[in-house]
Amino acid sequence: MEVGAIERSIFIEAAPEVVYEVVSDPEHLTRWYVDEADCRPEPGSAGHFAFGGPDRRVAVPVTVVEAVPGVRFRFRWMAPPAPEIPPVGAVLTAENSLLVTFDLMPQNGGTLLRVTEVGLREIGWEAALLEHYVNDHSEGWAALLGRLERYVGQLATR
Amino acid sequence: MSGMAGIDDELWAAIGDPTRLRVLDLLITAGTGTASSLSRALPVTRQAVAKHLAVLERTGLVHAEPAGREVRYQVDPDQFARACAQVSQVSRAWDGRLRRIKAIAEAIQRSRRPDAGSSPGS
Repeated sequence: MEVGAIERSIFIEAAPEVVYEVVSDPEHLTRWYVDEADCRPEPGSAGHFAFGGPDRRVAVPVTVVEAVPGVRFRFRWMAPPAPEIPPVGAVLTAENSLLVTFDLMPQNGGTLLRVTEVGLREIGWEAALLEHYVNDHSEGWAALLGRLERYVGQLATR
Repeated sequence: MSGMAGIDDELWAAIGDPTRLRVLDLLITAGTGTASSLSRALPVTRQAVAKHLAVLERTGLVHAEPAGREVRYQVDPDQFARACAQVSQVSRAWDGRLRRIKAIAEAIQRSRRPDAGSSPGS
């Protein structure tokens, strides 16, 4: 796995075709992800996601990259808290957006759904990298946290 | 819910840089540091370190105090702890979304085929 990627999996007691609908259909997207979704689940389809109540809704661009029913759904998007969000309609690339991939694998009569979000390193927003550090107990962020605890301890005893 | 509310953009940007993360690491290890002392431990110039320190100071992650001709920096434990909490919030965001996907998909499956759990088609 690329450093800087978020990867999560979950087992779902439903057929891959059903899970695929939930992760790709704009109507379903508004039930688990965003407050408004406008993009057809077809490669190259560009649209937008929006967050927030009707009075203060923030729209962000989204482009579908790959759509294989029952197998895989990928799209590019960009959203808060990223420092720079391209306008809706902008061409999304590795330089200005995140790539989200849903992989669906049949398992025990259900589906193992894996989501990965990559591209954070390239655009300088290191949330995923930091998250990687959080999970890495040997070095990086976890070590940093350990040192911080000792540091705070020292301050307390001064 | 968007899962995005409450995350401080500036704080994210401040810790979202590998060099700044190294600067924080060095400051925590050493207790304090100056742009000169930090640049000796990093593959970047003193001027570059000074810029990174300025970003960290603006977001309250480090405090500065004059030390002779230099400025001495140290980490603010409270603000740093806040940044750490936000990092784990991002990873939790996907866990929450996956749980919602699971609930929706399983409800659909149950409504379509009461014996959900048998092998999926084809």
